[in-house]
Amino acid sequence: MSTLIYWLGGVFLPLFPLSMAFNVLFSRVRNAKLRVALLLVWPQLGLSLAYMAHRPIPVWCLVLALFTSVLYAFRAIGLREVGQWIGYLATSAWALLWVGLFTHSEPNVVRLYAVGFSLPLMLLTLLGARLERGFGAAYTGLYGGLAQTVPRMSGVLVGVVLAIVAAPLFPAFSAMLGTVIVTTPTMPLAALTVALVWLLWTWAGVRLLQGLIVGPADGSKAADLSLASTWAYVAVLVLLLAGGFYLTGDLP
Amino acid sequence: MTMEQLVVAVVALPLVSALLVHMSCARLGRRVARVSVTLSVITFSLAAVLLATAVVHGASGQIALAGSWGIFLFDPLSALMATVIAGISLIVHVYSVRYMAEEAGYGRFFVLLDIMTATLLAMVAAGDLITLLIAWHLIGVLLYFLLGQDTRSHAAHRYAFWTLITYRFGDMPLVLAAGLLYHAYGTWSLTQIFTQIAAGPAVHSFFGIPLTGLVAGLVAVAAFARSAQFLLHTWLPYTMAGPTPVSALMHAGIVNAGGFLINRFAPVFVHTHGVLPWVFIVGLVTALIGSTLMLTQNDIKKSLGYSTMGQMGFMIMECGVGAFSLAIFHLISHGLFKGTLFLGAGGVINAARRDDGVPKDALYTFVVEKRPARVRRPWILMAAITLAVPVSILIVAHSLVGENYFQQQGAVVLLFFGWITGAQLIFATYRMRTGNLWRLVALSILSFTVIVVGYTLISHAFDLFLYPDEAFRQQIYTAANIGALRFDVLVGLVTALIVGGWVLTYYSEQNGSGRSGHHGRVWLTFYALISREFYLTDLFSRLSRALLATATRLNVLLRWV
Repeated sequence: MSTLIYWLGGVFLPLFPLSMAFNVLFSRVRNAKLRVALLLVWPQLGLSLAYMAHRPIPVWCLVLALFTSVLYAFRAIGLREVGQWIGYLATSAWALLWVGLFTHSEPNVVRLYAVGFSLPLMLLTLLGARLERGFGAAYTGLYGGLAQTVPRMSGVLVGVVLAIVAAPLFPAFSAMLGTVIVTTPTMPLAALTVALVWLLWTWAGVRLLQGLIVGPADGSKAADLSLASTWAYVAVLVLLLAGGFYLTGDLP
Repeated sequence: MTMEQLVVAVVALPLVSALLVHMSCARLGRRVARVSVTLSVITFSLAAVLLATAVVHGASGQIALAGSWGIFLFDPLSALMATVIAGISLIVHVYSVRYMAEEAGYGRFFVLLDIMTATLLAMVAAGDLITLLIAWHLIGVLLYFLLGQDTRSHAAHRYAFWTLITYRFGDMPLVLAAGLLYHAYGTWSLTQIFTQIAAGPAVHSFFGIPLTGLVAGLVAVAAFARSAQFLLHTWLPYTMAGPTPVSALMHAGIVNAGGFLINRFAPVFVHTHGVLPWVFIVGLVTALIGSTLMLTQNDIKKSLGYSTMGQMGFMIMECGVGAFSLAIFHLISHGLFKGTLFLGAGGVINAARRDDGVPKDALYTFVVEKRPARVRRPWILMAAITLAVPVSILIVAHSLVGENYFQQQGAVVLLFFGWITGAQLIFATYRMRTGNLWRLVALSILSFTVIVVGYTLISHAFDLFLYPDEAFRQQIYTAANIGALRFDVLVGLVTALIVGGWVLTYYSEQNGSGRSGHHGRVWLTFYALISREFYLTDLFSRLSRALLATATRLNVLLRWV
């Protein structure tokens, strides 16, 4: 029974190749609100399933989780479509939650890590939808120069991507730092793998930003974020920073 | 207000400035820079008070803002570095007021500059591993955006990315070191960790490796990435597309953080065996390659970048021989002179457009065009003097003072090699301006006496200030000891390298620049290798393209899900 639960958990806390289920679903769902809900609920379901098993996580699960995380982080550096990018980064990040389960981290903390990974991805989903409405597609290298044409949205985009790639002091930073620190003394190879994933996220994030906001303005006219929307995004980012502070204080 | 609270104020003020600039940017326009400059002046003044207090009364204290993390130290190293950073930041702020006036994103630039200043100050004052890691990581991120200030320029962002990814690579060893230290000692506080290490340095090991050695090795790798050591250096010469004030700040106050980090972890390094000699070798290779590449670049900005690489190599070498405080002196002096060079570059170029003012005499051809001096007789005499003086002192000290004297005083040996290599430049400079040979010799020796004595005195003063405990200073030199045989072989090798260089120059001067046959081909191959920067940049670019192509192929293979 517990093995079955783990396999089911492998769909929600993605383990390759079960991880494909989430990415197929995420690419089929085109509605931004549904995507946002999916990003929030999916890993929490996985965590609930994993905690239902009441047994230590087998080593193969951990190995597969780390492999999945590296695989999707690596594949994300070659992506240009924002929606796919979100799906891959979510897969890579959620797979790392298995490390928290394996090392018996506090369940509430692991759930908060999951929220910390998901929230900025949800914000990017909303921004991606806005890009699709304004430019016809959310695709890097297609128009570029957003910093010139829609400066407010670019500023928010930078903040959101930094939160996703686990820059200090966002919650994902605490999650990554906590994961590396917990694994370093007992599983140095796992720690090195997590560090590699972190590095690949940075690469993927910079490529996304460079493909969207950098470059001369191409003359396309799109409405920038309103002042109210900008403040709303900034408020969520500040909330994330506060969460990051809280989680940093809660490091092992 | 206590000194510890003052440290917090020094870190917080630039953050307040960033917030004020951001909020008042739309209203004040270009005048917003005044806010930033004013708060920079206050930050520098407070940092100077910290340093003055540390010099007069000593410094030892800490303040914790968030329990187990958010600890800030008030110690000699943090007080000194905070003053240097606040000072350089202030100069860069003042310079940027007019320099950036015509650029887009004026307010954003000052916000980023202020946050960078705060982060650098937090890094040098960090008293726990988490705060240090946050600041260490954040510097790379902020530098990326400062270098990419011009959001229209793809080139600026491409090279900013090189910097970011190298810095991120360097973050990882520090994170791993933090994990090991926390697991072993159960605290994030650097002071507590160092106290426990001092009480029992050999208590902990990791898979049979002494923990102190492993942590020191990881810290050293983090320092190498930050200070552009060989193989992790390719980003440095290419980051000139960013604004000049950012280049100045980077070369004066960011790239030398490696030297600071090694000093901060000095209590770990003193309990290692064999780590510091490796640090020395990495620094030596970097200094040689950086200086060689600097000489062969025809792009003045890349040349400056490689000059910094060579200087950073020298700074790491100083750490490697146990001259930790000398490395701090070096990073400060290098920061000041390189910052001056960058900030003065615009004015010099502007003046040179009207009239370069440089007489096309022998000095010009030697220094600028790098052609050897024509007159050989005093050149040989000078070579003999510069080689004979350090070698005879080395022999006398070995026999009279004690066999171990030079192993413990590696810094002095470094100065001797500085003497030998620098001698040629000073000699040539004097030679070309004077007809009197004896005056030339006297002036050269006087110059070097002033430099060596001054450098030694200052380094001693830094030693006393940063490491007042003499036993600890001795421990550092002991950790850097490489044994008599290795030491002598190393000295012999470096001497042979320098003398070989002289002989080669002499030979080429005698035979002119024309080469033919096999020697010519070898020389051309060597020159191509150097001028193409050992093909490392091409290699890294090709590697990153291959990785991107592999990622895309994988995506196609797995049908993009």
